[in-house]
Amino acid sequence: MKNFTPPPIRPGIHPRSGLGYRIDHGMRSSVPCLFVFFVALVLSAPLNLPGQVELMPAIIMAAIFLWSVFVPVLMPSIAVFMLGIWVDILSFGPAGVMLLTMLIVHGIALSGRYTLARVNFFVLWFVFGVVMVGVTALQWVLCSALALHIVEFLPFVFETVLAFGSFPVLYTGFVWTYRFVVNNADPS
Amino acid sequence: MPVSIQFRQALGKLVLPALILVACGVILLGKADRPLIEKLRMQTADLLAPAYGLVAWPQAKLRWLSGNLQDIRNLEAENIRLRAENVSLRHWYDVAAALADENAALKSNLHWIPDNAPAFVTGRVVRDTSGLYARAVLLAINPDTAVRKGGIALDGSGLVGRVTEVGKRSVRVLLITDSSSRLPVTLESSHAAAIMAGDNTALPRIIFYPQDNVPIEGERVVTNGEIESLPAGLPVGHVHYVRPGQPVVVPAAALDHIDILRIFDYEDTVSPPDAPGRVPLPNVGRTMSLPSQFQSRPDQGLHG
Repeated sequence: MKNFTPPPIRPGIHPRSGLGYRIDHGMRSSVPCLFVFFVALVLSAPLNLPGQVELMPAIIMAAIFLWSVFVPVLMPSIAVFMLGIWVDILSFGPAGVMLLTMLIVHGIALSGRYTLARVNFFVLWFVFGVVMVGVTALQWVLCSALALHIVEFLPFVFETVLAFGSFPVLYTGFVWTYRFVVNNADPS
Repeated sequence: MPVSIQFRQALGKLVLPALILVACGVILLGKADRPLIEKLRMQTADLLAPAYGLVAWPQAKLRWLSGNLQDIRNLEAENIRLRAENVSLRHWYDVAAALADENAALKSNLHWIPDNAPAFVTGRVVRDTSGLYARAVLLAINPDTAVRKGGIALDGSGLVGRVTEVGKRSVRVLLITDSSSRLPVTLESSHAAAIMAGDNTALPRIIFYPQDNVPIEGERVVTNGEIESLPAGLPVGHVHYVRPGQPVVVPAAALDHIDILRIFDYEDTVSPPDAPGRVPLPNVGRTMSLPSQFQSRPDQGLHG
């Protein structure tokens, strides 16, 4: 049987797929996951930043949300799972809670991506805010249930507000990364 | 293995729900088998402890430098203040020396048994592992030193917390401000016993104090020797009323930026003597055997 190769999505000149090209391609396409990995690593170091504890989930959630909406190929579910385990090991909270919330954010972004990828930035921002409120509430309920008493609510509110506020900055960073770092990695 | 496109798509759709189920399993596992998760985390922290130390080192240097610069700026005022303080301290030194002499004389008259000097190790705080729901720090220690779970952490001026997890090169200290920290304390002037309960804020509350002997604003709070690993008389802080009827402890230790901690080992300094008539219980899992005089001897048999 003869093999038919589909025509390339972007016709033109393609680089030879040698070893160097593959390494370059691999590095570029692992940027999103590496970003989350290093954010977790760096923000768990003793930097004494104000609000450092709340900043880590905010940045991680926004990154997972954005990449899952726009380029889910580079933020697959299994990678989100691995990153969740990594974040959970680095933090000393109840085990698995961060993992579950990351997966839920990823799932929501993935299931709504055909709508979310087309909407205006401000609508996307609002949707992210709503998702964060829900996810943080779930986190609070789980932490309270696992600790068997009501834990303080204010840090969770702070986390939500911080995530909501840092979203535009992260969006700008995402657009820049997507345009200049990742997008050269042609999947064909 | 060649599989149809439909099958692969169905499989792809199942991945995320399966992973979410696994995450729920991880939560349950963390609740059921806490030591496993703690071991994993402490191993990772052990691996990263040198790196964290590298991050903490320049910060400490920078703080030292800026502190120095500030000191130089108000050298004059500081000198005047120190001279005044020196005069008052000299007075207190005389008082203390006289009291120490008197104390030594009294102790020698009473055949006082001195306390054992506790062993301690000192370590640098490499990471604040306080999360949204915990107040704790990670301490780098020499791998050769033996630190046990339940060790008492003190800084230069007061009680900081207790060791909860021990790794090879790092230990985790739960601060007294953590919401799961409950310590028996004595209020020094009113002589009341109370419990200091952390609530994740900077000021732990005082609870269970006697209603006819309420804490006095500003009185010292020290530990109370009611639990074995914590000796009596360690300085904790002083009482402060945030509002009427709600006394809190202002910790003497600088808990917002802890730099260097000493971990004291007070275990088995005081072991309670066996009470008279106490029967040692057999270990669980072993069958209880009768004392020898009630056991039937096989050579004698029932009829002697």
